[in-house]
Amino acid sequence: MNKIPILYLNSILIASIQTELTDEEVLSFQSELLTKNNNLLTKGVIIDVSTLDVIDSYMAKVLSDLTTMVKLQGSAFLLCGVKPAVSSTLVDMGMMLTKIDTFQSLEKAFNFLTSNDRKYQ
Amino acid sequence: MDKYCLNEIDSVPIKCTQDIVISRQKGRELARKSGFSVSEQTRFATAISEITRNVLTYATEGDCHLFENNLDGYHMVIAQIVDQGPGIDNPKLAMSDGYSTGHGLGLGLPGAKRLVHELNIDSTPGKTIVEIIIKRRVYG
Repeated sequence: MNKIPILYLNSILIASIQTELTDEEVLSFQSELLTKNNNLLTKGVIIDVSTLDVIDSYMAKVLSDLTTMVKLQGSAFLLCGVKPAVSSTLVDMGMMLTKIDTFQSLEKAFNFLTSNDRKYQ
Repeated sequence: MDKYCLNEIDSVPIKCTQDIVISRQKGRELARKSGFSVSEQTRFATAISEITRNVLTYATEGDCHLFENNLDGYHMVIAQIVDQGPGIDNPKLAMSDGYSTGHGLGLGLPGAKRLVHELNIDSTPGKTIVEIIIKRRVYG
């Protein structure tokens, strides 16, 4: 059962991960996100992790896989709000996550997807 | 690993993935109380997360013990993750990047080692102890 609200706004799906999730919860979130994305034909998906203190290799792999999955569905995948300590921890561990498009804030990610001169998809 | 007298603060049984979350939250909280920076708290919590997940992947269950210790002018926070699984055949090989006998990325152990000051493995079939330590200089 997924416990993270997935919101739909201006053809964009937005989810903010605010509590630490178990592996099963992460997978049910992933599954619900992909189903919703398929049903709603979105421009993109934005995941906000600005209140997440720990992204371990498992969570990083899920985020990386989600990028590929959402892009395969024809939508953009944007991550925003990675904390400084989390970013340095990920790099030191060896999780580079260079495939993921990241933004500093939800607002910037949202503006990027909704702006008309966007040369991206 | 019994080279010093440890002061046990907390202990978490590891039986399901929820326990990974509890272990790393308690580890993080202990590091915070012990005066470590946010960055060090995050690294320590992430390392605990990696090692406790290994317990569930390779040994089904175990325990995570958290300790504090003062030694030679250093204040240390220690997590000992113990399991009764089959053990790590070749600890040196297990510490190399990209090596995995499971289905992971092979970043768990070597990745965790880079996050903390010390990572020690004591493994025999039936009992494996992985000890991770962060420390900081205490003056005065």
